Amino acid sequence: MRSPAWMRALGLCALVLGAGAAQAQDRPQDPIKIGWLSSLTGPLSSAAIAENQGVQFAVDEINRAGGINGRKLELLTRDTAGEPTKAVNLAQQLLFSDKVQFIIGPVNSGESLATVPIVARAGIPNIVIGSIDELIDAKKYPLAFRAINTNTQWISGGNAYALDVLKRRKVAVIGDTSGYGTSSAKTAAALLEQAGVKPVYSVLIDPNKTDLTDEMTKARAAGADVVMPWTAATGLMARILNTRGDMGWDVPVVGHPAVMALPIKGLLNKPEYWQNAFAAGYQSTTYVDGKLPPRTQALIDTVKPALGGRIDFTFWWVALGYDTVKIIEHAVKSAGSTDPQKVKTVLEGTKDFPGVYATYTWSPENHNGFPDRNIVANIANTFRDGCYDAAPR
Amino acid sequence: MLAVIVSGLAIGAVYAATALAYNVMYSTSKVLSVTTGHLCMLGGVFGAWFIAGLGLPVPAGLVGAVLVGALFGGFTEIVGVRRVLARSDEHLWLLSTLALATMLQQAVGLWWGTEPKPFPRLIPQDFSSGLLDQKYWLPILTVLVMTAGLEAFYRLTLWGKLFQATSEDAFAARARGIPTDRVRLASYLLAGALGGLAGFAAGQLTFAFFALGLTLTLNGFIALAVGGLGSNLGALLGGAGLGLLSAFATYWFGGEYQQTIAVGLLMLVLLVRPEGLLGARRVRPV
Repeated sequence: MRSPAWMRALGLCALVLGAGAAQAQDRPQDPIKIGWLSSLTGPLSSAAIAENQGVQFAVDEINRAGGINGRKLELLTRDTAGEPTKAVNLAQQLLFSDKVQFIIGPVNSGESLATVPIVARAGIPNIVIGSIDELIDAKKYPLAFRAINTNTQWISGGNAYALDVLKRRKVAVIGDTSGYGTSSAKTAAALLEQAGVKPVYSVLIDPNKTDLTDEMTKARAAGADVVMPWTAATGLMARILNTRGDMGWDVPVVGHPAVMALPIKGLLNKPEYWQNAFAAGYQSTTYVDGKLPPRTQALIDTVKPALGGRIDFTFWWVALGYDTVKIIEHAVKSAGSTDPQKVKTVLEGTKDFPGVYATYTWSPENHNGFPDRNIVANIANTFRDGCYDAAPR
Repeated sequence: MLAVIVSGLAIGAVYAATALAYNVMYSTSKVLSVTTGHLCMLGGVFGAWFIAGLGLPVPAGLVGAVLVGALFGGFTEIVGVRRVLARSDEHLWLLSTLALATMLQQAVGLWWGTEPKPFPRLIPQDFSSGLLDQKYWLPILTVLVMTAGLEAFYRLTLWGKLFQATSEDAFAARARGIPTDRVRLASYLLAGALGGLAGFAAGQLTFAFFALGLTLTLNGFIALAVGGLGSNLGALLGGAGLGLLSAFATYWFGGEYQQTIAVGLLMLVLLVRPEGLLGARRVRPV
């Protein structure tokens, strides 16, 4: 029995569409599509804008040099505005409509929590740049590889400086009441206790609280000899420094990189309130004897003219963005294709891959590529070209 | 302990100022606008921009911040309230003012940035003045002057009496020839100016921060509910009480409980004394 005409037409359409879909698959002459989920507007946009400079610069540089294995890169940037729901929609668009071969991002951990499982289910490699520990799990998300450090690495770096270098034992831990601030303060207290130090004072503060006199007075009364704030809220961080300064309390502050964020400078009552403050930072963006690591200096020299001759944001954001694309280049070059499983094998076998932001090593068990040794302590008020001086040891 | 009281009173003064702005708008429209806290936010952000960004002198910055607040107050009435009240008796103004508040916050965030920015020092004073620092007493002084000024305005001026007449019975007032639409617009302009002034006075305490509006909208409403809707003295007491309670809650229990205790106070007042401390008791006519 012959099938009806409409069924045959449908079958023909399916064949044509199927052929089209097959053609949309990876072909050696097609560009390599990279989806970049970036919160270019909204909260934390300053980090994303700087990272975007690095991503864009690396893509242009690779394309100028002829691409990867002769294939140009096509960057598809999507602004998530820092919203997890938008990030999910845009990730799905990149994965299923634009059919990208790689996803970089999103920028914020909250967005990444929403998108990482989706990218994993789609079977596309994801270069993760969110810092909370839960984002990486080699079994649950086998194609997610982290380029940035974890939150625990930051906190361990800060703790090591306060306990081992400054030789402080009476620690006041300050977090904020956001999810990130609460979990960071908890992790900080737990890591301190592992090191045999029980904080003399711990507090969570609403990031919009306008006056911290009572908290800082209590920390002093508890005998704290170091204040360790773990919050990304620059307003709260500035108020901690202002209150310490107004009280005339010369206790060191060691904590989250937000301690040295440039917007803090304008929020301080007096410039000297930024002294005796240290933050967990990066070897790659740290001046030692006035010099930066050669790879960082080379990138600054190349990028700076394009930025109008001055860098007024933290440079590690640019370096991280740049490295995410270079990691993809390394994976595709070594694998000889963009096949996700081949890319996975290459990245899991990567040891000491030299980036600008860090030197990366991944393994089949551990998809966190950033090594502990690349975290150092910086002096907060030493911003120059987006980099900082090493804290005295 | 004194530090907790002073800082509690200072932030309480900002809540009280927000509650006063609520009162002024509510008196003529029976609308509790979600944009009320955003009026203060505008005062802080534009005050900082006029003085630190454009380099204007402090008095010009103050006038500018008050004007911006008044303009947005008027805009709220025209766009978010007038047409809604004309077409429906339902509380759709809640949605229209919420939409306006959200759009304003997004717009300011895009233009001004999402990080808090510094608010300039208004009066030369060293930062080591402790509890005598202007960041504490400027908002307290401002809200006291605002309350006294509003009371004088209502009691001593013709426009004040028009506000009161419209507040008591808008239909009767209109029947007697009072242009209630214009009175309502004037009340929104006045509330905007008061919000702008309060945000300017508290700028050093709050920084110039785009996301301040919703916090103040909520806490200003709690202050209003505690003090009694319609009472300016109640707004003052409610704001001070809420500020002190929040400060002591943080001092004794920690910051994570601050908001819960503030909202708990609202629930308690609504259950025990729904008219607030000084609000008029509603009597059901029989």
